[in-house]
Amino acid sequence: MGGEPMLEVRSLSKRFAERAGRDPASWVIKDLSFVVDEGEFLTIVGPSGSGKTTLLNMLAQIDTASGGELRFQSQAARIDDPKSLKPGLSCNIGYVTQEDNLLPWRTTLQNVLFPLVVQRRLDAEARARAESLIRAVGLAGFENYYPHELSGGMRKRASLIRTLVYDPPVILMDEPFGALDAQTRAQLQDDLLRLWSLGRKTIVFVTHDIVEAIALGDRTLVLSRSPASIVGEHANTIPRPRDIRDIMTHPQFAALYQRIRGQVQ
Amino acid sequence: MPQRTHNSPSPRPARIGAWLSARGDQVLVLVLLLAIWQGLSLAFGTYWIGSPWGVAARLAGGVASGEILRHASYTLFEAAAGFVIGALPAVALPFALRRRPILTAILDPFMMGGYGAPKLALAPLFILWFGIGMQSKIALVAITIFFIVYFSAQAGVRSLDPGLVQMAQVMGANERDVARHIVLPGAVPYIFTGLRIALPYSIGGAVIAELISANRGLGYLIQLAAMNFDTTGVFAALTVTTCIVFSGNWALNAVDRRLLRWRPRDLDIQAVS
Repeated sequence: MGGEPMLEVRSLSKRFAERAGRDPASWVIKDLSFVVDEGEFLTIVGPSGSGKTTLLNMLAQIDTASGGELRFQSQAARIDDPKSLKPGLSCNIGYVTQEDNLLPWRTTLQNVLFPLVVQRRLDAEARARAESLIRAVGLAGFENYYPHELSGGMRKRASLIRTLVYDPPVILMDEPFGALDAQTRAQLQDDLLRLWSLGRKTIVFVTHDIVEAIALGDRTLVLSRSPASIVGEHANTIPRPRDIRDIMTHPQFAALYQRIRGQVQ
Repeated sequence: MPQRTHNSPSPRPARIGAWLSARGDQVLVLVLLLAIWQGLSLAFGTYWIGSPWGVAARLAGGVASGEILRHASYTLFEAAAGFVIGALPAVALPFALRRRPILTAILDPFMMGGYGAPKLALAPLFILWFGIGMQSKIALVAITIFFIVYFSAQAGVRSLDPGLVQMAQVMGANERDVARHIVLPGAVPYIFTGLRIALPYSIGGAVIAELISANRGLGYLIQLAAMNFDTTGVFAALTVTTCIVFSGNWALNAVDRRLLRWRPRDLDIQAVS
């Protein structure tokens, strides 16, 4: 997959401010470094509470770092000062959060079009793209439904394609399929891989589920408990296209799972 | 598989049935109240309590001669003008203050004081300042409405989900986009709650200011009738006041339903059934 480094993270650290009645500020993330290549699907596994969301928030520039560097396409981004943060780095970094964060007063279609509206890019071509994405994830017929009228899985799909529709070069995903049942989850993972194989965006996908990390990624990083740092890196050579539902029966799966499992505490 | 869980209407006839039965019960309560009113009127005599029938006849006469409509339209105008003049800045201010927490903190105790102060007690002062014409009534209504709507609009602005704002910013939304596409629509339900609470106060404020000093309006009619020991006249004017509040509320609900189509309708259904 190797191309130019798309995103470089160097000794990134984070600690939350001291507050009365709490231990003096402890590090959530310490000296965390990794590189994501262009077109790579990177998965990061870590136990809950290991600072996975905090890490992505810093990458998406909606939270400051207490130290370290972030480079996007070899350009350094300022992430130490809340005032100089640029959320989403001028639409270069998309972020699919744990919650679907759909706007409740907008219909499915309006939600998917929202990024294009605020980016002033809403033309016929963009609309056509939105509609084809809606069809691709099986939301056709639900364009005019409000989020509260959709099931959890449908909301996830809408929130996923809302980021895909404006085509940011890097997409961060924070356990987007965490709260779904096994069936819907497999379906969505399938959809995601299918959509990804068309455009080969750079993806950083965070999860606590080792199977999911193996099924989706080209490479898997393992985070330690907090203060989080990288304790393992695993190349994943299971060939694509992959069959999500049968990934566990692949001959390479067991060994890879064992190695990652050993490092996730 | 369509999953319109919240919106899924129970089969239509059942809903209409529920609506009819609710309306039927409401008519029953109305008849009961009228009966009690009639009973009291019989017991104490129409000198003290005008009978419902007498009030109806008086209203019909007043409407026919145009007298009641003329007075009602003064009151309605004062209430409406005061409502708009009070509500507009009350809605705008919390938006302007959203990104200025220090200014908000400075203003807060004063706003709270204004909210708590008995505004109706200002009526004599306003009459002193603005005369006995419409201006004093409009001023009283505006100041009453302002504080009610201000606090509900502020609650709406504060109810903002930071997750939605961050999402929008990541997608490239600027401050104005956030205000227009996220803060405002999120605050609309709160603003409408405030407007609905404020509505009766606007009519009430206008009527009370007229009671104190005026030469026209429903408050003036009430005052005049009471001075002539004409309880039927008082009740007739009060009935008109109530009708105005009712129709105002109905109009607000209509706008509200249009603007808030995106919300689950469970509450409405429960309210009717």
